[in-house]
Amino acid sequence: MSSDFYNSSILPYAAIIIKICRAYTNTQEDFEDYYQEVCLQIWKSRNNFRGQSEWSTWVYRLSLNVSMTLLKKQKTNVQQLDSGFLPTEVSEEPRAFADDSLEQLYSAIRQLSEIDRGVILLYLEEKSYQEIADIIGSNPNNIGVRIKRIKGRLKKLLDGKIN
Amino acid sequence: MEKSIEAIWKQGFLHSDALIAPKINDIYSKKSMHIIEKFEKMFLVNIWGIIIGSSLLFIGAYLAGATFAGSIILLMMLYVAYTAYHEMKTLEKIDKGQNSYAFLKSFKDWIYRSIERYGNMYRIVYPVLILTFYFGIWFSDVFVNIRELVVEQSNDLIFGLHIYTTVVVIITAVMMGVFSKAIHRRDVKTMYGGIMKKLDLALAEMEELRE
Repeated sequence: MSSDFYNSSILPYAAIIIKICRAYTNTQEDFEDYYQEVCLQIWKSRNNFRGQSEWSTWVYRLSLNVSMTLLKKQKTNVQQLDSGFLPTEVSEEPRAFADDSLEQLYSAIRQLSEIDRGVILLYLEEKSYQEIADIIGSNPNNIGVRIKRIKGRLKKLLDGKIN
Repeated sequence: MEKSIEAIWKQGFLHSDALIAPKINDIYSKKSMHIIEKFEKMFLVNIWGIIIGSSLLFIGAYLAGATFAGSIILLMMLYVAYTAYHEMKTLEKIDKGQNSYAFLKSFKDWIYRSIERYGNMYRIVYPVLILTFYFGIWFSDVFVNIRELVVEQSNDLIFGLHIYTTVVVIITAVMMGVFSKAIHRRDVKTMYGGIMKKLDLALAEMEELRE
Protein backbone atom coordinates (compact mmCIF):
# COMPACT_ATOMS: atom_id res chain seq x y z
CA MET A 1 0.00 0.00 0.00
CA SER A 2 1.55 3.29 -1.00
CA SER A 3 1.70 6.04 1.58
CA ASP A 4 -0.05 8.25 -1.03
CA PHE A 5 -3.07 5.96 -1.06
CA TYR A 6 -3.08 5.75 2.73
CA ASN A 7 -2.78 9.52 3.16
CA SER A 8 -5.35 10.45 0.53
CA SER A 9 -7.94 7.66 0.69
CA ILE A 10 -7.74 6.21 4.19
CA LEU A 11 -6.36 8.75 6.63
CA PRO A 12 -9.16 11.32 6.04
CA TYR A 13 -11.61 8.54 7.04
CA ALA A 14 -9.49 7.16 9.88
CA ALA A 15 -11.97 8.56 12.42
CA ILE A 16 -14.73 6.36 10.97
CA ILE A 17 -12.51 3.29 11.03
CA ILE A 18 -11.30 4.00 14.57
CA LYS A 19 -14.84 4.47 15.89
CA ILE A 20 -15.98 1.20 14.32
CA CYS A 21 -12.94 -0.84 15.32
CA ARG A 22 -13.21 0.39 18.92
CA ALA A 23 -16.80 -0.91 19.06
CA TYR A 24 -15.75 -4.42 18.08
CA THR A 25 -12.62 -4.78 20.23
CA ASN A 26 -11.86 -4.84 23.92
CA THR A 27 -8.10 -4.41 23.92
CA GLN A 28 -5.68 -1.96 22.35
CA GLU A 29 -3.86 -4.85 20.62
CA ASP A 30 -7.07 -6.11 19.00
CA PHE A 31 -8.03 -2.57 18.06
CA GLU A 32 -4.71 -2.07 16.25
CA ASP A 33 -5.08 -5.43 14.47
CA TYR A 34 -8.62 -4.60 13.35
CA TYR A 35 -7.56 -1.13 12.19
CA GLN A 36 -4.70 -2.58 10.15
CA GLU A 37 -6.91 -5.27 8.66
CA VAL A 38 -9.57 -2.72 7.67
CA CYS A 39 -6.91 -0.51 6.02
CA LEU A 40 -5.49 -3.53 4.21
CA GLN A 41 -8.93 -4.62 2.99
CA ILE A 42 -9.72 -1.07 1.78
CA TRP A 43 -6.50 -1.11 -0.20
CA LYS A 44 -7.12 -4.61 -1.57
CA SER A 45 -10.74 -3.88 -2.49
CA ARG A 46 -10.17 -0.37 -3.85
CA ASN A 47 -10.82 -1.52 -7.42
CA ASN A 48 -14.26 -2.81 -6.39
CA PHE A 49 -15.38 0.72 -5.51
CA ARG A 50 -17.71 1.66 -8.36
CA GLY A 51 -18.55 5.17 -7.21
CA GLN A 52 -22.23 4.27 -6.72
CA SER A 53 -22.01 5.59 -3.18
CA GLU A 54 -19.78 8.06 -1.35
CA TRP A 55 -16.28 6.79 -0.63
CA SER A 56 -16.99 7.35 3.09
CA THR A 57 -20.12 5.17 2.89
CA TRP A 58 -18.11 2.47 1.22
CA VAL A 59 -15.45 2.76 3.95
CA TYR A 60 -18.18 2.42 6.62
CA ARG A 61 -19.54 -0.68 4.95
CA LEU A 62 -16.18 -2.28 4.51
CA SER A 63 -15.03 -1.42 8.05
CA LEU A 64 -18.19 -2.92 9.52
CA ASN A 65 -17.96 -6.07 7.42
CA VAL A 66 -14.29 -6.61 8.24
CA SER A 67 -14.82 -5.93 11.96
CA MET A 68 -17.81 -8.26 12.15
CA THR A 69 -15.91 -11.01 10.34
CA LEU A 70 -12.89 -10.65 12.60
CA LEU A 71 -15.09 -10.69 15.69
CA LYS A 72 -16.81 -13.88 14.50
CA LYS A 73 -13.43 -15.51 13.90
CA GLN A 74 -12.22 -14.41 17.30
CA LYS A 75 -15.33 -15.78 19.00
CA THR A 76 -14.86 -19.14 17.26
CA ASN A 77 -11.23 -19.26 18.40
CA VAL A 78 -12.18 -18.45 21.98
CA GLN A 79 -14.86 -21.14 21.97
CA GLN A 80 -12.29 -23.66 20.78
CA LEU A 81 -10.04 -22.86 23.73
CA ASP A 82 -10.41 -25.07 26.74
CA SER A 83 -11.47 -22.87 29.64
CA GLY A 84 -8.62 -24.44 31.63
CA PHE A 85 -6.17 -22.51 29.51
CA LEU A 86 -7.75 -19.17 30.21
CA PRO A 87 -5.86 -16.99 32.68
CA THR A 88 -7.51 -16.70 36.06
CA GLU A 89 -6.55 -13.05 36.39
CA VAL A 90 -7.14 -10.62 33.58
CA SER A 91 -4.75 -7.71 33.52
CA GLU A 92 -6.28 -4.23 33.47
CA GLU A 93 -6.44 -2.79 29.94
CA PRO A 94 -5.52 0.88 29.56
CA ARG A 95 -8.54 3.04 28.82
CA ALA A 96 -9.23 3.81 25.17
CA PHE A 97 -10.79 7.20 25.86
CA ALA A 98 -10.02 9.96 28.33
CA ASP A 99 -13.71 10.83 28.48
CA ASP A 100 -15.43 8.68 31.13
CA SER A 101 -18.86 8.90 29.54
CA LEU A 102 -17.58 7.85 26.13
CA GLU A 103 -15.69 4.95 27.70
CA GLN A 104 -18.92 3.82 29.41
CA LEU A 105 -20.91 4.25 26.21
CA TYR A 106 -18.44 2.13 24.27
CA SER A 107 -18.49 -0.62 26.87
CA ALA A 108 -22.29 -0.63 26.61
CA ILE A 109 -22.15 -0.71 22.79
CA ARG A 110 -19.80 -3.72 22.98
CA GLN A 111 -22.56 -5.61 24.79
CA LEU A 112 -24.87 -5.30 21.78
CA SER A 113 -25.08 -7.79 18.94
CA GLU A 114 -22.68 -7.34 16.02
CA ILE A 115 -25.36 -5.83 13.76
CA ASP A 116 -26.80 -3.59 16.47
CA ARG A 117 -23.33 -2.16 17.11
CA GLY A 118 -23.09 -1.24 13.44
CA VAL A 119 -26.57 0.30 13.38
CA ILE A 120 -26.01 2.46 16.45
CA LEU A 121 -22.57 3.61 15.27
CA LEU A 122 -24.03 4.75 11.98
CA TYR A 123 -26.92 6.45 13.79
CA LEU A 124 -24.50 8.27 16.08
CA GLU A 125 -22.56 9.35 13.01
CA GLU A 126 -25.77 11.00 11.87
CA LYS A 127 -26.33 8.78 8.88
CA SER A 128 -29.90 8.78 7.55
CA TYR A 129 -32.11 5.69 7.95
CA GLN A 130 -31.79 5.15 4.21
CA GLU A 131 -27.98 5.26 4.37
CA ILE A 132 -27.92 2.96 7.39
CA ALA A 133 -30.25 0.56 5.59
CA ASP A 134 -28.00 0.66 2.50
CA ILE A 135 -24.87 -0.01 4.51
CA ILE A 136 -26.35 -2.73 6.70
CA GLY A 137 -28.49 -4.22 3.92
CA SER A 138 -31.85 -3.69 5.58
CA ASN A 139 -35.09 -1.79 5.16
CA PRO A 140 -35.18 1.92 6.27
CA ASN A 141 -38.51 1.35 8.04
CA ASN A 142 -37.00 -1.35 10.22
CA ILE A 143 -33.97 0.77 11.02
CA GLY A 144 -36.01 3.35 12.95
CA VAL A 145 -37.64 0.69 15.11
CA ARG A 146 -34.33 -1.01 15.65
CA ILE A 147 -32.56 2.21 16.68
CA LYS A 148 -35.28 2.92 19.22
CA ARG A 149 -34.85 -0.53 20.69
CA ILE A 150 -31.04 -0.26 20.77
CA LYS A 151 -31.18 3.16 22.43
CA GLY A 152 -33.49 1.71 25.07
CA ARG A 153 -31.05 -1.10 25.70
CA LEU A 154 -28.10 1.29 25.88
CA LYS A 155 -30.00 3.52 28.28
CA LYS A 156 -30.61 0.54 30.55
CA LEU A 157 -26.96 -0.48 30.38
CA LEU A 158 -25.80 3.05 31.11
CA ASP A 159 -28.43 3.76 33.73
CA GLY A 160 -26.82 5.07 36.86
CA LYS A 161 -23.35 5.02 35.37
CA ILE A 162 -23.39 8.34 33.60
CA ASN A 163 -24.71 11.60 34.97
CA MET B 1 -29.07 15.90 34.33
CA GLU B 2 -28.58 12.71 32.36
CA LYS B 3 -26.75 13.10 29.05
CA SER B 4 -28.17 11.58 25.88
CA ILE B 5 -26.03 9.03 24.04
CA GLU B 6 -25.86 11.44 21.10
CA ALA B 7 -24.36 14.13 23.38
CA ILE B 8 -21.90 11.67 24.95
CA TRP B 9 -20.80 10.65 21.46
CA LYS B 10 -20.28 14.18 20.21
CA GLN B 11 -18.57 15.52 23.33
CA GLY B 12 -16.43 12.43 23.82
CA PHE B 13 -14.78 12.77 20.45
CA LEU B 14 -13.92 16.39 21.09
CA HIS B 15 -10.95 15.10 23.13
CA SER B 16 -7.89 15.20 20.92
CA ASP B 17 -6.65 11.76 21.94
CA ALA B 18 -9.88 9.91 21.07
CA LEU B 19 -9.17 9.49 17.39
CA ILE B 20 -5.47 8.78 17.09
CA ALA B 21 -4.89 6.30 14.27
CA PRO B 22 -2.51 3.47 15.12
CA LYS B 23 0.66 3.19 13.09
CA ILE B 24 0.49 0.77 10.22
CA ASN B 25 3.47 -1.50 10.44
CA ASP B 26 4.18 -5.05 9.47
CA ILE B 27 0.61 -5.38 8.30
CA TYR B 28 0.85 -9.09 7.60
CA SER B 29 2.44 -10.29 10.82
CA LYS B 30 -0.66 -12.01 12.20
CA LYS B 31 -1.63 -13.43 8.84
CA SER B 32 1.85 -14.89 8.35
CA MET B 33 1.83 -16.53 11.75
CA HIS B 34 -1.64 -17.89 11.09
CA ILE B 35 -0.62 -19.49 7.79
CA ILE B 36 2.39 -21.19 9.36
CA GLU B 37 0.52 -22.29 12.47
CA LYS B 38 -2.15 -23.86 10.28
CA PHE B 39 0.52 -25.63 8.25
CA GLU B 40 2.22 -26.90 11.42
CA LYS B 41 -1.07 -28.27 12.71
CA MET B 42 -1.75 -30.08 9.42
CA PHE B 43 1.81 -31.37 9.36
CA LEU B 44 1.42 -32.79 12.87
CA VAL B 45 -1.91 -34.41 11.97
CA ASN B 46 -0.17 -35.92 8.95
CA ILE B 47 2.60 -37.38 11.14
CA TRP B 48 0.05 -38.95 13.46
CA GLY B 49 -1.83 -40.22 10.42
CA ILE B 50 1.32 -42.01 9.23
CA ILE B 51 1.95 -43.55 12.69
CA ILE B 52 -1.66 -44.67 13.21
CA GLY B 53 -2.09 -45.85 9.60
CA SER B 54 1.10 -47.92 9.58
CA SER B 55 0.27 -49.39 13.00
CA LEU B 56 -3.15 -50.48 11.73
CA LEU B 57 -1.49 -51.89 8.63
CA PHE B 58 0.91 -53.85 10.83
CA ILE B 59 -2.01 -55.29 12.82
CA GLY B 60 -3.73 -56.21 9.54
CA ALA B 61 -0.53 -57.81 8.23
CA TYR B 62 -0.09 -59.75 11.48
CA LEU B 63 -3.66 -61.08 11.29
CA ALA B 64 -3.13 -61.98 7.61
CA GLY B 65 0.02 -63.91 8.47
CA ALA B 66 2.38 -61.40 6.86
CA THR B 67 4.07 -60.18 10.04
CA PHE B 68 7.48 -59.77 8.42
CA ALA B 69 6.17 -57.56 5.59
CA GLY B 70 4.03 -55.64 8.10
CA SER B 71 7.10 -55.04 10.29
CA ILE B 72 9.12 -53.68 7.35
CA ILE B 73 6.28 -51.34 6.37
CA LEU B 74 5.80 -50.23 9.99
CA LEU B 75 9.51 -49.53 10.47
CA MET B 76 9.75 -47.68 7.19
CA MET B 77 6.71 -45.52 7.92
CA LEU B 78 7.95 -44.81 11.45
CA TYR B 79 11.18 -43.64 9.85
CA VAL B 80 9.14 -41.36 7.53
CA ALA B 81 7.19 -40.03 10.54
CA TYR B 82 10.42 -39.43 12.48
CA THR B 83 11.93 -37.58 9.50
CA ALA B 84 8.77 -35.48 9.20
CA TYR B 85 8.88 -34.67 12.92
CA HIS B 86 12.54 -33.72 12.63
CA GLU B 87 11.68 -31.57 9.60
CA MET B 88 8.93 -29.84 11.59
CA LYS B 89 11.45 -28.98 14.28
CA THR B 90 13.59 -27.20 11.69
CA LEU B 91 10.50 -25.17 10.77
CA GLU B 92 10.40 -23.87 14.35
CA LYS B 93 13.93 -22.52 13.84
CA ILE B 94 12.75 -20.00 11.22
CA ASP B 95 13.40 -16.58 12.71
CA LYS B 96 10.01 -15.20 13.74
CA GLY B 97 11.59 -11.83 14.46
CA GLN B 98 12.10 -10.96 10.81
CA ASN B 99 9.50 -9.01 8.87
CA SER B 100 6.43 -10.84 7.54
CA TYR B 101 7.63 -10.89 3.96
CA ALA B 102 11.03 -12.39 4.85
CA PHE B 103 9.30 -14.76 7.27
CA LEU B 104 6.90 -16.11 4.64
CA LYS B 105 9.71 -16.28 2.08
CA SER B 106 11.77 -18.38 4.51
CA PHE B 107 8.73 -20.59 5.05
CA LYS B 108 8.25 -21.07 1.31
CA ASP B 109 11.95 -21.91 0.93
CA TRP B 110 11.58 -24.40 3.76
CA ILE B 111 8.66 -26.10 1.96
CA TYR B 112 10.66 -26.47 -1.26
CA ARG B 113 13.78 -27.69 0.57
CA SER B 114 11.58 -30.13 2.43
CA ILE B 115 9.97 -31.43 -0.81
CA GLU B 116 13.47 -31.93 -2.21
CA ARG B 117 14.66 -33.88 0.83
CA TYR B 118 11.48 -35.95 1.00
CA GLY B 119 11.69 -36.66 -2.71
CA ASN B 120 15.14 -38.18 -2.16
CA MET B 121 13.91 -40.23 0.76
CA TYR B 122 10.89 -41.50 -1.16
CA ARG B 123 13.21 -42.67 -3.94
CA ILE B 124 13.86 -45.62 -1.59
CA VAL B 125 10.64 -45.61 0.45
CA TYR B 126 8.13 -45.90 -2.43
CA PRO B 127 9.77 -48.93 -4.15
CA VAL B 128 10.41 -50.72 -0.84
CA LEU B 129 6.80 -50.17 0.25
CA ILE B 130 5.37 -51.45 -3.03
CA LEU B 131 7.61 -54.50 -3.18
CA THR B 132 7.10 -55.33 0.50
CA PHE B 133 3.37 -54.94 0.10
CA TYR B 134 3.34 -57.16 -2.97
CA PHE B 135 5.56 -59.92 -1.57
CA GLY B 136 3.86 -59.64 1.81
CA ILE B 137 0.39 -60.15 0.38
CA TRP B 138 1.51 -62.87 -2.03
CA PHE B 139 3.05 -64.99 0.69
CA SER B 140 0.48 -64.21 3.40
CA ASP B 141 -1.83 -66.86 4.89
CA VAL B 142 -4.96 -65.23 3.45
CA PHE B 143 -3.55 -65.57 -0.06
CA VAL B 144 -2.89 -69.34 0.13
CA ASN B 145 -5.85 -70.31 -2.05
CA ILE B 146 -5.09 -67.78 -4.78
CA ARG B 147 -1.39 -68.72 -4.68
CA GLU B 148 -2.28 -72.42 -5.17
CA LEU B 149 -4.69 -71.56 -7.95
CA VAL B 150 -2.00 -69.59 -9.81
CA VAL B 151 0.50 -72.45 -9.36
CA GLU B 152 -2.05 -74.91 -10.77
CA GLN B 153 -3.06 -72.82 -13.75
CA SER B 154 0.15 -71.10 -14.83
CA ASN B 155 3.61 -72.24 -15.82
CA ASP B 156 5.00 -68.71 -15.81
CA LEU B 157 6.31 -68.82 -12.27
CA ILE B 158 9.53 -67.81 -10.59
CA PHE B 159 10.15 -68.57 -6.89
CA GLY B 160 6.41 -69.18 -6.58
CA LEU B 161 5.53 -65.76 -8.00
CA HIS B 162 3.68 -65.08 -11.21
CA ILE B 163 6.40 -63.74 -13.56
CA TYR B 164 4.43 -61.09 -15.47
CA THR B 165 2.65 -59.71 -12.40
CA THR B 166 5.98 -59.55 -10.59
CA VAL B 167 7.65 -57.77 -13.51
CA VAL B 168 4.82 -55.20 -13.64
CA VAL B 169 5.09 -54.62 -9.87
CA ILE B 170 8.90 -54.28 -10.05
CA ILE B 171 8.65 -51.83 -12.99
CA THR B 172 6.02 -49.84 -11.07
CA ALA B 173 8.27 -49.79 -7.99
CA VAL B 174 11.26 -48.62 -10.05
CA MET B 175 9.18 -45.97 -11.80
CA MET B 176 7.88 -44.69 -8.49
CA GLY B 177 11.46 -44.47 -7.26
CA VAL B 178 12.49 -42.55 -10.38
CA PHE B 179 9.53 -40.17 -10.23
CA SER B 180 9.46 -39.97 -6.44
CA LYS B 181 9.97 -36.20 -6.37
CA ALA B 182 7.15 -35.50 -8.83
CA ILE B 183 4.83 -37.89 -6.97
CA HIS B 184 5.69 -36.33 -3.64
CA ARG B 185 5.18 -32.84 -5.06
CA ARG B 186 1.68 -33.92 -6.16
CA ASP B 187 1.04 -35.40 -2.70
CA VAL B 188 2.05 -32.14 -1.06
CA LYS B 189 -0.17 -30.20 -3.45
CA THR B 190 -3.14 -32.44 -2.61
CA MET B 191 -2.61 -32.16 1.14
CA TYR B 192 -1.37 -28.62 1.54
CA GLY B 193 -2.52 -27.06 -1.76
CA GLY B 194 -4.99 -24.69 -0.07
CA ILE B 195 -2.46 -23.35 2.36
CA MET B 196 0.24 -23.02 -0.31
CA LYS B 197 -2.16 -21.04 -2.46
CA LYS B 198 -2.79 -18.71 0.49
CA LEU B 199 0.93 -18.40 1.00
CA ASP B 200 1.51 -17.48 -2.66
CA LEU B 201 -1.35 -14.96 -2.53
CA ALA B 202 -0.01 -13.35 0.63
CA LEU B 203 3.47 -13.12 -0.88
CA ALA B 204 2.10 -11.63 -4.10
CA GLU B 205 0.15 -9.01 -2.12
CA MET B 206 3.19 -8.20 -0.03
CA GLU B 207 5.32 -7.79 -3.11
CA GLU B 208 2.71 -5.38 -4.46
CA LEU B 209 2.67 -3.57 -1.13
CA ARG B 210 6.45 -3.24 -1.19
CA GLU B 211 6.48 -1.63 -4.62
